[in-house]
Amino acid sequence: MHDPATSVPQPSADSPPSASWLDLQIAFTLLLAILMAVIWVASGFGYFWPAWVWMGLSVPIALHVLVLRTRARAPGAERRLRLQAELSTGVAALLFVIWALAGMGPLWPFWSWLGLALAYAAHAIVVHRDWLPARAREQALVERVDVLTRTRSGALDVQAAELRRIERDLHDGAQARLVALSMHLGRAEQRVADQPEIAELLRQAREDAGAAIAELRDLARGIAPPILADRGLTAAIEALARRSAIGVTIDADPDRRPLPVVETAAYFVVAEALTNVAKHAGGAAARVRVTLDGDETLVLEIADEGPGGADPEGSGLRGLRSRVEALDGTLGITSPPGGGTTIRAELPCGR
Amino acid sequence: MRAVIVEDLALLREGIVALLRENGIDVVAQAEDGPGLERIVAGHKPDLAIVDVRLPPTFTDEGLRAAIEARRRHPGLGVLVLSQYVEPVYTTELLASGEAGVGYLLKERVGEVRAFIDAVQRVAAGGTALDREVVAELLRARQAGDGAADGAIGSLTPREREVLELMAEGRSNAAVARALVVSGGAVEKHVRNIFAKLDLPASDDDHRRVLAVLAYLRDG
Repeated sequence: MHDPATSVPQPSADSPPSASWLDLQIAFTLLLAILMAVIWVASGFGYFWPAWVWMGLSVPIALHVLVLRTRARAPGAERRLRLQAELSTGVAALLFVIWALAGMGPLWPFWSWLGLALAYAAHAIVVHRDWLPARAREQALVERVDVLTRTRSGALDVQAAELRRIERDLHDGAQARLVALSMHLGRAEQRVADQPEIAELLRQAREDAGAAIAELRDLARGIAPPILADRGLTAAIEALARRSAIGVTIDADPDRRPLPVVETAAYFVVAEALTNVAKHAGGAAARVRVTLDGDETLVLEIADEGPGGADPEGSGLRGLRSRVEALDGTLGITSPPGGGTTIRAELPCGR
Repeated sequence: MRAVIVEDLALLREGIVALLRENGIDVVAQAEDGPGLERIVAGHKPDLAIVDVRLPPTFTDEGLRAAIEARRRHPGLGVLVLSQYVEPVYTTELLASGEAGVGYLLKERVGEVRAFIDAVQRVAAGGTALDREVVAELLRARQAGDGAADGAIGSLTPREREVLELMAEGRSNAAVARALVVSGGAVEKHVRNIFAKLDLPASDDDHRRVLAVLAYLRDG
């Protein structure tokens, strides 16, 4: 009897893939093998032909085992590779047995073995190409970019949250204390109305407090104007438009609010762009469009019909670009001479 | 006069209460958040409510919304909103929300005690008190709406513009005259010129003149 693990690469007989069926198959095959040996003995020995029959009988068993082993593995590239390894080994062993039974002449199966080995090696390289040095570097870079994207977006969120916290602290802390201070100074001023010199000093102190409050107010507004936090981007842009020296039409209706960090950047892009229009477009009106593209990208378009010819490297536009690029967005400027200027910013707002 | 105050920062609330009491204004109740305004106004029927824009629980424009709601529900109530910033949208909404006395002042104005008490009394009496920063923003917006400096506001003399600003803050002619240190007659003349240039209906009543000016600025 030959090793039952030998096999040939052909569709297996339709054997039910269970261990008890395998036992049954083996028992039946052994019976057949013994029967062949008995016939050989009964027919007066001679050439030992049952060896060929045994070899043939071992093939279905080997295939059955192979099917069982393969099914036990998780599907995927690795399973296909293992299947090829086992089939190739089986075919190689079968060829060896045939060579041995045929009288062991020149080792002709060698070339088939070589072919099988090369095919297996090629398959293995394809499956495990990640282990190749260049590919491994590429993979490492992809992973690095993933990590950097994630940490940067995290850092920006943290930064935005920090800025809003600072704004809150200014409002409830320093600003409130300065207001209280100027209130106390005012009350003291009232009480010393009959001492003009002291009253004047108190008035000056109150004015200084007022100047400090105004400075803090400008600082807070630079972080984010209150209306943006209170009512969102569309309301904030409408407020900008109302205050602008030029006519501004707005077409903005994002149905949900982007992350604060994106919203703030978008606000300042529109504010800066409108300032540019007022400054350079000779009084031409501006049109602002805000759309959420597929919930993933906030698209801003600020267009005017002024003289065009804007310098994309000018400091205003450079500032806009760096603001947008910090969020992994893009900023495009179309400004042909005589053809108006359109600024288009795309800000990713998903994570 | 009976007033209530809604301010979440105890430091400011207590200071303002002391300031008002020193000046003969009776503070009958205090609250710390938006819903608190409705509660104390309904409970005490005051002449005036002083409300901070930014209040818990949202810390956004909660106080403004509560103030607008209170003006709608209590037609005789004067509402004076205090804020740490000027937002023309908010002022416009507040002005449009009722007929009774109304005001929007930056918080630091509480330090200018006499002017602040003036404003409080004016609003309680049904008048208007707008911060000069608010007026400047309204003027800017109106001028932007007119398109550059050749609009009606651009045609005012610097003195007329000053008078317009003071009127828009809610002051009577007599108060404008005091602030500019000129005679009542001189102010009268400026006012007539302003109304002619802005094409507004003339009126002898201080309050109606203020409202006409504000309506003009708001439509900008």
